[in-house]
Amino acid sequence: MNQDITKFRNIGISAHIDSGKTTLTERILFYTKRIHAIHDVKGKDGVGATMDSMELEKERGITIASAATFCEWLGHEINIIDTPGHVDFTIEVERSLRVLDGAVLVLCSVGGVQSQSITVDQQMKRYKVPCIAFINKCDRSGANPDKVTKQLKEKLGHNPVAIQIPIGLEAEFSGVIDLLSMKAIYFEGKNGEIIRTDVIPENLLEEAVKKREELVDAASVFSDELTEAILEEKEIKESMVVTALRRGSLSRQITPVLLGSAYKNKGVQPLLDAVIKFLPCPYDTENIALDMDNNEAPVILSADSDKPLVALAFKLEEGQYGQLTYIRVYQGLLAKGDNIYNVRTGKKVKVGRVVRMHASQMEEIESIPPGYIGALFGIDCASGDTFVSPGLSYTMTSMYVPKPVISLAIKPKDNKSEVNMSKALNRFTKEDPTFKTFVSEETGDTIISGMGELHLEVYLERMRREYNAQIVSGVPRVAYRETITKRSEFNYTHKKQTGGAGQYGRVAGYMEPVDEEFVFDNQVRGGAIPTQYIDACEKGFRNCLSKGPKLEYPVTGVKIVINDGASHAVDSSDMAFQSAARGAFLEGYLKAKPVIIEPIMKVVVETPTEFQGAVLGSLNQRRGIIFGTQDEVTSCVVEAQVPLAEMFGYSTTLRSMTQGKAQFTMEFATYKHVPQSLAEELIRKAAEEKKNL
Amino acid sequence: MVSNNLTLRHPLGRLLGNNTEIIQEGGFGAILAYAGVGKTALLIQLAIYNLLNNKNVLHISLNDPVKKVGLWYKEVFRNIVSQLGISDQQQIFEEMLPHRFIMTFEVEGFSVPKLEERLTDLMEQNIFRPNVILIDGLPFEVSQEESLLKLKSFAQNHSLEVWFTVRIHKGEEPSGIPANFNSVEYLFEKLILIQPEGKGIQLKALKGGKSDSGVNELFIDPTTMLVTDL
Repeated sequence: MNQDITKFRNIGISAHIDSGKTTLTERILFYTKRIHAIHDVKGKDGVGATMDSMELEKERGITIASAATFCEWLGHEINIIDTPGHVDFTIEVERSLRVLDGAVLVLCSVGGVQSQSITVDQQMKRYKVPCIAFINKCDRSGANPDKVTKQLKEKLGHNPVAIQIPIGLEAEFSGVIDLLSMKAIYFEGKNGEIIRTDVIPENLLEEAVKKREELVDAASVFSDELTEAILEEKEIKESMVVTALRRGSLSRQITPVLLGSAYKNKGVQPLLDAVIKFLPCPYDTENIALDMDNNEAPVILSADSDKPLVALAFKLEEGQYGQLTYIRVYQGLLAKGDNIYNVRTGKKVKVGRVVRMHASQMEEIESIPPGYIGALFGIDCASGDTFVSPGLSYTMTSMYVPKPVISLAIKPKDNKSEVNMSKALNRFTKEDPTFKTFVSEETGDTIISGMGELHLEVYLERMRREYNAQIVSGVPRVAYRETITKRSEFNYTHKKQTGGAGQYGRVAGYMEPVDEEFVFDNQVRGGAIPTQYIDACEKGFRNCLSKGPKLEYPVTGVKIVINDGASHAVDSSDMAFQSAARGAFLEGYLKAKPVIIEPIMKVVVETPTEFQGAVLGSLNQRRGIIFGTQDEVTSCVVEAQVPLAEMFGYSTTLRSMTQGKAQFTMEFATYKHVPQSLAEELIRKAAEEKKNL
Repeated sequence: MVSNNLTLRHPLGRLLGNNTEIIQEGGFGAILAYAGVGKTALLIQLAIYNLLNNKNVLHISLNDPVKKVGLWYKEVFRNIVSQLGISDQQQIFEEMLPHRFIMTFEVEGFSVPKLEERLTDLMEQNIFRPNVILIDGLPFEVSQEESLLKLKSFAQNHSLEVWFTVRIHKGEEPSGIPANFNSVEYLFEKLILIQPEGKGIQLKALKGGKSDSGVNELFIDPTTMLVTDL
């Protein structure tokens, strides 16, 4: 195994649905000789692409879990994380970005920068991941790489620099001109594995010279040597331009743009060259851990194998031989037989088998060097856990986990399914922090909740296929919440002094709306409530939150301030004050104009202009507030906020309405008040359900 | 409903007259200024005034994406309410949103027939029926007479008030007003010029100003871009 850290690359390939990530990855693996045959994503040969290892992914033609795979190119070792393109699986994307050093942003030369690319790009910005762009599908009719490059600049705010121009486009697409070496590159042989370089065709020479000038000009910002060479009209060496571009792209100030068609086997090898030239090695990126012993002070980690270990488990998989934990080592060496600590649980673990993954096949190795991604067997942990050497208590920055917005009741059909279902749920919740499950106290049903309809559907489907669990699912439910809208006072005395041990406690203060979920502020002066009972008061208030007095939805956005109270020398107790707090909450809550709030989703629909009217109508019918429409030449983007409750089945409606030409993305935006008429409807339904219980 | 606890004076009221119908329905108004002086900010103040008075505003932007226009509104609104010292601004803002519709076009893709088609579509489906249309960024460097005439008759048919922004250039004509604008000037009832004056920024009514009162200029606060009485 290569130990030179500058020859490592951890990269991700992220993009919009159907812009061809998986096909591209497949080709990369083929050219790096990791696989010996090419299978298509929606393959007729029944094998499917190598990265899409889950059966379900193969069937739907989408990538769900990001398998990590390893390959070699020109003496460099590349780890590729295949990331899912659908917004419902955003947590997977975010998690893989955490462990990447660089990314290839794949764009479709016809579709250009679409809404999902924007989301992914924002995530990359958040984690400061440098990237290069690959404009794919240049062989398709309507291909326009120039337009896409322009969009990169306008829509994503990148500073794109073309380092190639196409030789022909659409059906005529036959190769690319490399502006660094000023050579034409053709891809020959059955699978494009033979690269033939040639002089630039006469008719493209002028454009190539012009584009090269632009390229050198953009690169010169990052290199004095290059600027001097330009000014003194010396010969400009390729290596000078590459060094300057690398500097620019590592600091995210330049995005080198390449082109090709993965499906037609064109332009993939130069992309690999560019990965090595322009994307960082683990040494180039700064990784920060938090020191738990030192008030979470940030610590910069160095990719040094002699330092103590810091590693992050970023993905779990249930394999044939037990749990497989994908892990990235940031500092130190993770070797077989080591004792390491899980920072979250404080448990000591002994490292058993260490492997390197290639989708579902694996290779045994002795140790994982820093900056590297590998996998461990037989380690019990959740994804996102940090592992360290004994004596250290660093944690990698906690990842932002959005709250679930939709839930679904599920029931196993028979006993066997019940066992399998609980196995499956146990694993899914460990793997995916946005997927939650619990048992409803009222109905006894198992409830699963997640980030969207498709998110839950995929898990249901996986339970059926991978775990052979026959599941009946209910209607999806929206996660309604309750909150208060105005300030109100409470002053409640809990008194029970008739026979037996007495209970006494008085709690007074006020509650008001707040942006946070719950705030408790103790302003009691002079011991009106003895300090030992303050915690009991807080607990009493907190216990009221899970079930709101109005409609039994969880309560959020309440600030409680207590400023007075009374106690009794004998009859006051923790219990008494908890009860008093509960009473006070009820008293104040009903006066504070409680309302029901519902999750509102930000919906972005991209549609050909002729369907704009129909799309607007459909969003309007769904209680959507349309923010605006954005006209581009042939397509149109509609932005709106629509309540989640109205969005069930929208993908089907949209598809049938627009002949399948429109697509939409949806993500959680905010919680808003439910309109009065609907609130009444909810109250009526709740009452009915209660009757039926 | 929206404006129950927030009444706002028309930003140009003191300049143009105190009746709320600043322009007759079907009328045109224009805000002229050099680049970067505050055309869009003033336009959005007009929009917010109308929104708070329960009028539906269609904002057409030929330069900026929807998101950016949305941010403009947030920013201007925040400045207005913080000047007035109102606390529950979020709620008022959210109540305003259904009354606003943003459309963005690429400059070359914009045409009046296209706009009419879109608008008719919106109105027929009862999604949105504007009272006021704001058009930001229409290039007056080229002749717009034909389009404006079409738009005028459309505006009259649907009783719409339409405001434009006009970018003027240094060194053109004495006033800097594009020559092509002068040829369509007769279509406009109100013309407001924004120009830097000494330390501040001044608003002047070039056309349609109020003659009876002494006020014929207003100022813009350069930090908030809001119209002040100073």
